[in-house]
Amino acid sequence: MAPLTPYTYIQCPCSDASTLGRQADSNSPRSPDDDELDDRAFDPRAPRSNYSLYPLDYLNYCEDCQQIRCPRCVAEEIVTYFCPNCLFEVPSSNLKSEGNRCTRSCFQCPICIGPLSVTSIESPPDPSLLAAPDGAPAPHSGPYILTCSYCNWSSTEIGIKFDKSNSIHAQLVKLNNGGTTRLTAKEHRERRKEASQDRLAGPPSALAAAASNGGENNEELDLETQFANLKSFYQSQLADAAPGGSGLSSLNDLGFSSPTSLSRIMSLYTGGTVHNSRNKSRTGTMREALISDEGLQIASLDESAAIQHLHSIDYSETITTEQSTNQPPHLGEVHPHGTSRFASSLRPIPYLLRTKRSKRCPVCRHIISKPEAKVATTRFRIKLVASAYIPTITIRPLNIPSSSTPGTLPPLQPSQFILTFQNPRFETINVTLATPAKTPGRFSSKVTVLCPQFEIDANTDVWDEALKDTSDKTKLRRRGAAGDDGTHQAEAGKIWERGRNWVSIVVEVVPASLRLDLLEATAKEDEDVLEIPMFVRVEWEVDVGGDDVGTAPSRDKEQTEERELAYWCVLGLGRVGQA
Amino acid sequence: MSRRPPRGEYIETDTGNKVARKANLVGTQNIMLGGKTVIQPEAMIRGDLARSIHPSSSSSGAAPGSNTAVAIGRYCFLSRGCCLRPPGRLYKGAFTYTALRVGDHVFIGPGSVIQAASIGSHVHIGANVVIGELAIIKEYVKILDGTVVPANMVIPSFSIVAGQPARVIGELPEGGHEAFELRELYKTVGNNPQPAPS
Ligand SMILES: [Zn+2]
Ligand SMILES: [Zn+2]
Ligand SMILES: [Zn+2]
Ligand SMILES: [Zn+2]
Repeated sequence: MAPLTPYTYIQCPCSDASTLGRQADSNSPRSPDDDELDDRAFDPRAPRSNYSLYPLDYLNYCEDCQQIRCPRCVAEEIVTYFCPNCLFEVPSSNLKSEGNRCTRSCFQCPICIGPLSVTSIESPPDPSLLAAPDGAPAPHSGPYILTCSYCNWSSTEIGIKFDKSNSIHAQLVKLNNGGTTRLTAKEHRERRKEASQDRLAGPPSALAAAASNGGENNEELDLETQFANLKSFYQSQLADAAPGGSGLSSLNDLGFSSPTSLSRIMSLYTGGTVHNSRNKSRTGTMREALISDEGLQIASLDESAAIQHLHSIDYSETITTEQSTNQPPHLGEVHPHGTSRFASSLRPIPYLLRTKRSKRCPVCRHIISKPEAKVATTRFRIKLVASAYIPTITIRPLNIPSSSTPGTLPPLQPSQFILTFQNPRFETINVTLATPAKTPGRFSSKVTVLCPQFEIDANTDVWDEALKDTSDKTKLRRRGAAGDDGTHQAEAGKIWERGRNWVSIVVEVVPASLRLDLLEATAKEDEDVLEIPMFVRVEWEVDVGGDDVGTAPSRDKEQTEERELAYWCVLGLGRVGQA
Repeated sequence: MSRRPPRGEYIETDTGNKVARKANLVGTQNIMLGGKTVIQPEAMIRGDLARSIHPSSSSSGAAPGSNTAVAIGRYCFLSRGCCLRPPGRLYKGAFTYTALRVGDHVFIGPGSVIQAASIGSHVHIGANVVIGELAIIKEYVKILDGTVVPANMVIPSFSIVAGQPARVIGELPEGGHEAFELRELYKTVGNNPQPAPS
């Protein structure tokens, strides 16, 4: 097993059950329950914790609430839609009509999801012939195919070629696998109209038509045509039923003064007797689709053809579940009752669009992250990230006794780690740490933070650093000298090392022994990972400027104000080995 | 061959590039380094694979010597055993190489083979990654170890990419943008390396 890289995850306040609904009864006397909640240490192994712990990079910070915000609690708003392949922006109006995939020529391989490129099928002309008359247009002409450079799949495998090298999406929509042209729903309707006009002179009622042209009633429809048929069928049903005996058109029904609207409104207030009688008469005239022209499709449950086909083909010609789920909904699909299982029915996958999104604080609704709208730019208009407000915590081993399994912490022996806190703020901060003496869980390890309270200097800018470089160096050297004679011991109450805007301290752990035989149980997943819950309280003073309206009365007396931020985090130190 | 102290592992140029003596740079006249770039031992750059067809007559008077095969920006880090190789393609029916362009603050992990057309700034490429011919990688992209990016693939900004073939497996959080800066890493290698801070 690979040794575990130490990590720090931070808990977002949105998941803290003890703060939920607390605000409302903050003045009421505290119940014993509240105290219990306060005393209880955060358990990183609790099932809920999975959803609340994030690496610092993933967290935002709301300046108005002065609180951490996580991907789970922020409200996102889409700024831009774009294709991840051609990087073209898609206006949201197109999105409604065209769907959420690129409609240019961007496709993924249906076999391996690699990108497909458009290539001319014609063999490249002899380069020696071409080199001489330079400037002649490249004699690339159709047909074109889509090819995958990763797995060598090409659209010829499903019998599809294109006449033009651009707007492949529009061409593909009109092609069935095998290369036959697909009729759109409109074309279907027109053809049918022509056919029925030939057959019958009079206006055929649906039932009469069903009786007369029996064979064609179960014509196989693709999804788009079926939907179009169903829609027009029910629309005509509604139009027939709505006017009832009054002879009003269905449009008039929408007006407030129309009798139907009035009866509907009345029925809302009168217990529905009027409504009921009306509704009965209406449903009486509605019926279900009966033929394919009306959108009826009878499920073909006979799979013998597919089974027969399986006998004759190779295993590789069937598709995996993943390939089938990657397939986009294909409106030209004939068989809506269960998708196909054969590679010959796969379609190139148009790229799903990607988005740029802004984020809002869930509490105060202020925007805490907003990217520039243009696809090409990576700048942000607003970017409030937690790493600019709360200290980063890095962990490295200091003193770990040798273990029987390399890369693990030996149980029942003290191991020491250095925690380095780096202050991103331009103010000096005070940090107070608290950990439970024993980690929660079945295997409790002992934890001692040798220096739980310390001050970290401000994150002065680079020029300040250059100016006071000398003083910083002497500070560092003092620590370094202690290390030279090999007696640099971690001492309780003292920090280990200090730099410009960072402080490191030592944490000692005595891992528990993972004696499962005593518990008569099996280890749960990752139960051997030593995780320490740690409560971090950061305090700092800010200058209260004139722009801060809320604190105006006290401004005369003091120019600074105390601020604090407190949160739980979890330190993953390593795996505990066997004794 | 150099008048510098022979024990120095790196050649440090005026523009601050740190090129390992054991790095393998072929066709150096076609390799452009922006400065402050680290090239570790056994890294290879194929500057010899320069464009073989010159658009001499048709092009609008390109500067002489513009036959750059590999252009690398500032603060890039080419780890041990990686290989940068200009991609080849058919141009008017004939095979030719086109330039491989790399932005600033690009980390290329050990053993990775790069044949992209362009790699934007602030890109982290892990160990043993293969980037296929003419792939385009935009700014702020992280490619995890062992990924195979197919030829011609475009990877948009703020993607985390992994797998064989590569797919976008995640979105880079805003808080992670700073981590792409390689100024500190630059200081930790060379003939007088500084220890990494804390
Ligand atoms: Zn949250
Ligand atoms: Zn596209
Ligand atoms: Zn493929
Ligand atoms: Zn807020």
